[in-house]
Amino acid sequence: MKQWRSLDEMTRDEAFVARAAQEFPALAAALAQPARRRTVLKLMAASLALAGCDPGNGAGNLVPAVVAPPDIVPALPNSYTGANLFGGYAAGIVVTHVMGRPIKVEGNPNHPASLGATSAHGQAMLLDFYDPDRAFGLSRRELPADRQDLLAALTTERARLGADHGAGLRLLTGSVTSPTLARQIDALLAQFPAARWHQWEPISRDAVRAGAVLAYGRPVAAIPRPAAADVIFAIDSDMLASAPGHLAFARALASRRNPVRTAKMSRVYAVEPTPTLVAATADHRFVAGPAELHAGFMAVAESVLQNAAPSGAPAWAAAVAADLKAAHGHALVHVGPDQPAEFHALAHAVNEALGGRGATFDLVEPIEHAPTDQAASLAALIQEMAAGQVDALVILGGNPGFSAPGFAEALGRVRFSLSLAPMPDETSERATWSVPETHVFETWSDARAYDGTITIIQPQALPLHGGMSAHEVLALLGAEAQTGPRDIVRATWQDHADFDGFWHDALANGVAAGSASPPAQVALRPEAARLAPPTPPSQPINLLFRPDPNLWDGRYANNPWLQELPRPLTKLVWDNPLLISPVSAAREKLVNGDVVRITVGTAWLEAPVWIVPGQAAECAVGLLGYGRRVVGTVGTGTGFDFFPLRGGTAPPRIEKTGRHVALASTDHHNPLDAGPRDIVRHGTLAAFTRDPRFLQEEPKVETMYHGQPQLSAQAWGMSIDLNSCIGCNACVLACMAENNVPVVGKAQVLHEREMHWLRIDRYYEGTPEAPDSFFQPMLCMHCEEAPCEVVCPVAATVHDQEGLNVMVYNRCVGTRFCSNNCPYKVRRFNYFAFSHEEHRPPIARNPDVTVRARGVMEKCTFCLQRIAEARIAADRENRPIRDGEVVTACQAACPTRAFSFGNINDAGAEVAKRKQSPLDYAVLAEAATHPRVSYEARIRNANPDLAQNA
Amino acid sequence: MSTTQLPMQPVVDPAESPGAMTDRIAAIVLRERAYLWWWLLMIPSATLAGVMVVSILWLFYAGIGIWGIDWPVVWGFAIINYVWWIGIASGGTFISALFFLVRVEWRTSLNRLAESMTLFAAACAGIYPILHLGRPWFFYWLFPYPNTMTLWPQFRSPLFWDFCAILAYVVSSILFWYLGAIPDFATMRDTSVRRRPQLFYGVLALGFRGSGREWRNFRAAYAVLAAIMAPMVCSVHSIVGLDFAAAQTTGWHSTQFPPFFVFGAVLSGFGMVLFLALPLRRLLRLEAFITGRHLEVLARLLLVSSLCVIYAYMMDAFSTYYGAEPAEKIFFHERVTGLYAGVYWSTLLLNCVLPQLLWWRRLRLNQALVWLISSGVIVGMWLERYGIVVVSLHRPKLPSAWGNFTASIWDWALFAGTVGFFFAGLLVVVRLVPIISIFEMREILRKRQA
Repeated sequence: MKQWRSLDEMTRDEAFVARAAQEFPALAAALAQPARRRTVLKLMAASLALAGCDPGNGAGNLVPAVVAPPDIVPALPNSYTGANLFGGYAAGIVVTHVMGRPIKVEGNPNHPASLGATSAHGQAMLLDFYDPDRAFGLSRRELPADRQDLLAALTTERARLGADHGAGLRLLTGSVTSPTLARQIDALLAQFPAARWHQWEPISRDAVRAGAVLAYGRPVAAIPRPAAADVIFAIDSDMLASAPGHLAFARALASRRNPVRTAKMSRVYAVEPTPTLVAATADHRFVAGPAELHAGFMAVAESVLQNAAPSGAPAWAAAVAADLKAAHGHALVHVGPDQPAEFHALAHAVNEALGGRGATFDLVEPIEHAPTDQAASLAALIQEMAAGQVDALVILGGNPGFSAPGFAEALGRVRFSLSLAPMPDETSERATWSVPETHVFETWSDARAYDGTITIIQPQALPLHGGMSAHEVLALLGAEAQTGPRDIVRATWQDHADFDGFWHDALANGVAAGSASPPAQVALRPEAARLAPPTPPSQPINLLFRPDPNLWDGRYANNPWLQELPRPLTKLVWDNPLLISPVSAAREKLVNGDVVRITVGTAWLEAPVWIVPGQAAECAVGLLGYGRRVVGTVGTGTGFDFFPLRGGTAPPRIEKTGRHVALASTDHHNPLDAGPRDIVRHGTLAAFTRDPRFLQEEPKVETMYHGQPQLSAQAWGMSIDLNSCIGCNACVLACMAENNVPVVGKAQVLHEREMHWLRIDRYYEGTPEAPDSFFQPMLCMHCEEAPCEVVCPVAATVHDQEGLNVMVYNRCVGTRFCSNNCPYKVRRFNYFAFSHEEHRPPIARNPDVTVRARGVMEKCTFCLQRIAEARIAADRENRPIRDGEVVTACQAACPTRAFSFGNINDAGAEVAKRKQSPLDYAVLAEAATHPRVSYEARIRNANPDLAQNA
Repeated sequence: MSTTQLPMQPVVDPAESPGAMTDRIAAIVLRERAYLWWWLLMIPSATLAGVMVVSILWLFYAGIGIWGIDWPVVWGFAIINYVWWIGIASGGTFISALFFLVRVEWRTSLNRLAESMTLFAAACAGIYPILHLGRPWFFYWLFPYPNTMTLWPQFRSPLFWDFCAILAYVVSSILFWYLGAIPDFATMRDTSVRRRPQLFYGVLALGFRGSGREWRNFRAAYAVLAAIMAPMVCSVHSIVGLDFAAAQTTGWHSTQFPPFFVFGAVLSGFGMVLFLALPLRRLLRLEAFITGRHLEVLARLLLVSSLCVIYAYMMDAFSTYYGAEPAEKIFFHERVTGLYAGVYWSTLLLNCVLPQLLWWRRLRLNQALVWLISSGVIVGMWLERYGIVVVSLHRPKLPSAWGNFTASIWDWALFAGTVGFFFAGLLVVVRLVPIISIFEMREILRKRQA
């Protein structure tokens, strides 16, 4: 061990000086000189000066804003267009920034798949962007590596693969709608002709694609137009929940659902084994297991196509068929992606026969690049991998290591694999290279909507943690001329006449004008009408698989907003029990939370059960996407992985284990105990036609106070149309994002302490086997005579001059009396410092909304900060606030425009008009609170022939 | 011989003389070493009081989320226990103030014990409303004091009335207890032979020497305080009742709540006096002063207040079905058949059914049975408040907000802690203060001798 007395002495170490001289000749020269005080000081000064010249992280150029960028005013928001990608399809968004940081996602009104609305996933992408668990850097065999290492490795691979035209190269992506990615993939396949490209989405739409091919002979995309349909027959349909374009479909469907505002109310039939959102809004819902569904739809199809009388079919089939035929030219059949391809083909045939083409549906050229049978594509890939035929595999997004059983093991036989993933997952931990994927907020790209409309996606921020996009990886792999994502995307559109104008307009509007897919000129193959899928096997239990509505295929497992977003019907959070029917629960004596062992062939899983009213007796549903093993802190230890059971063909078995676990649902009681009663008023269209005001029986309130509350000139109020609400939850997440509403975690939800300011109440009416369900968004009613205000001893909740019931957090001492006295129970209490423990950095919060401390009450403010913003703008221009100028977060997100908000004292305002609706009513009016929020009662257009179901 | 012919026992053993009585009662306090039973009771009580301190410190550190309260049951043990303790406190005030004003002789043997009980029960009750707050360090915002924010409290809020009522009640109870003990402190000062007790009681006696002027002033002040306290015991419990009745909440919105709460309070108050007096008279050998007469009178009072409570329960059920409110009916149905039905039926059993045994004099004179019934009433009144707070809140008007409540370990720890604090406090009083009012007892004995 070398001994020394001073650093100076140490630096004279011969070996060190020699090494230093080799590496830093100038330093060697300096060290060689006798050390002088002035020299030392000079060197120190120079070192400090150089230290200030930190080149940053190398991911981009940081230019200090010596001259403020135009249009950026400190503390005022800016908006930039972008897109939310879901299953490869784009829904346009506008991201609100404050001081350069994205804080809120809104829908893009210009975009056909958004029309200004967002889905819950669109709202939640903000948290994915800010997720502290995202991968911080590249890793090679789980050891940190840097970009140069990757470049070197890709160069080596390119040379190696080029030798045999890329025979061992495989590329795996999800569904591709991005023209740029498609161009790059095509270029890569041209460069390596022997390479192959596989596509796979864990939540398959293969049946949709195959059905179109069966019906029309080649891939086409069918776009339903529910606004034009008088009669809709939805078969296990995802039209309102997750189909590409679901936000637009929901808007269109809702436009025909309120008899006050539509000339002719549509009639919706739904048939399905497990409840969907379409069914929750439908006029008639038929619960049907696979066998009954098969028989019923075949009967309807035969009746429409061959005019045959349904025989041996369920009772409803005849009525549905008759109604569809009666509405010739205005009828629509929609089939969900979980039904076989033959059903889709048959539905095309029925729709054609009903004369719907061009009216109730359109056929356009396919949106996806090179649509294919993805299940077969992946199966082939896994087979080749397992056989050792795959030398190099590049996985661009997706997590097949989790969602495709057998993939992870086969990956071990691939010499070189690269996984592009936002955070370490089950695939990246097995891949040779794990490359952090940039969030869609961090990169340039492009993508198409359900109708083909193109959005150029621009970055909203510099990458928070470095990372690469799929475009960059492909460019590096193929040694393309451009490697920057912006240049890559621009190269795709370079040929456009007036490129600069196109580019500018596309970014400014969020859509490329006129880029929708052209109509497909195809004729129905006559044999499509004669197709019949095999009769489903009759077995005691049918195990069905559906994506979890929030976590989807598992990609959102680390998103706390989505984890704690109550599932539309079960209201479950943080978990995915096996969904069973009330019939099998009664038979097996199972209650919610009982653990069962589900066996399919050799695969098995132990999971608790949850009873879903309205689920077909012989069906059990496993929700995919939970049970992630390699995931961030939020998703760890949540739920159960049903993917391994999905491939099995053996009849499933379900056995009780005798164990019981607690499941967190925000519905803290037996849902069938309490029907909608007078809370969700509802009736039939026939009754409405007789007397539109038939639901207006206001209870007689005996009161000593006969004065009605006086409205101020500016009186904020809201009307919610229960005919429009589909229970999609977009408003709930929009409210959380806008108002910094904290997530509390499973344990606290079990403790009944969730914090949602806006919740969607769900009521059932009827038998557990086939109930009608009702949704009702519930938020602070801003009562004129607010019961919460008089009981607060410190006056922390008071009325303002515009009729808002405001909560003064600083004054609140936390007696919680206001919550006791609130008939609507919309007040939430911070039992702990929930906001302090949130899984997101403080910069992800909305700076205009106070973050609430421990021990204070909070509740909906009608987005007070948005009102203030509009008021300031109006004051500056010395005018009153215009109608529609204040849009609450829930209202903005709502795909069906169920919310209407504004000045109820302005007769011209939309909300005032809606409150004049004959269906308008107040919840718990007998409490004499005079709520500012009212509802439009739910009307159902029941088929008189099926009256017993109405 | 039927029990009705049993002779009524005197309020004090006729063999007692003022001097002997003074010596005997003073001797309990002036013993150099405490009784063994005193230690045996004190150790667990003090331990539990320590648990209370730990529970409060942890509560302040971690927040009220450590309790079982949730949504919609945002009030829980803090309010249940607050109402329970304040109800128990009523017993002492009732006996010492109301029966003082109506000049009831038997009160003299019990009033010190009952008032001491009131003191500590009120102390236990008094801490709960503060601990109950989400941000307890701002509790003083309920007080209408001039401040730079120029903010007043919400005068319409029952919690503000409650804050004033409790404050007044606790302060008056302390003053009433202390004022009533001053002549006895003087006696102790004069009786003790050692320097330290002399100093201790001398300070507490505030220089009371028994002059005529002092006695005149004392009696006037005591009578005024008693005249304030007697109606206050009704107003305090009425206001506690209004904490609930003034809300729109299902199960609470009832005009009968103020008298109902007074009945309930008095029931538990008498129950607690019996619960304490029965063992204490044996342990301290006070049978000569707390005679069978006292026990019988207390048992009768217990029966009467039980009948009042029965009336209130009946009206509660009647008004639910007489009114047209569906939510009230659902709630009531849930209350008698639902998850917490056991709470309701136990309440009825303990507060209504069992006290009916006291109609029979022979049973009234059975001390073990009376002690069990009074313990039952104390538990029953706690369950009644559990029903009012938790069971009402768990079925609000909107079915989507229905929920349940489960108490946490810290709920129980704090509750047990206050029980320990209550008994520890009483034991300290038993050790340091004459547990029977000597000067008043002296008057009775003198009267009898005369």
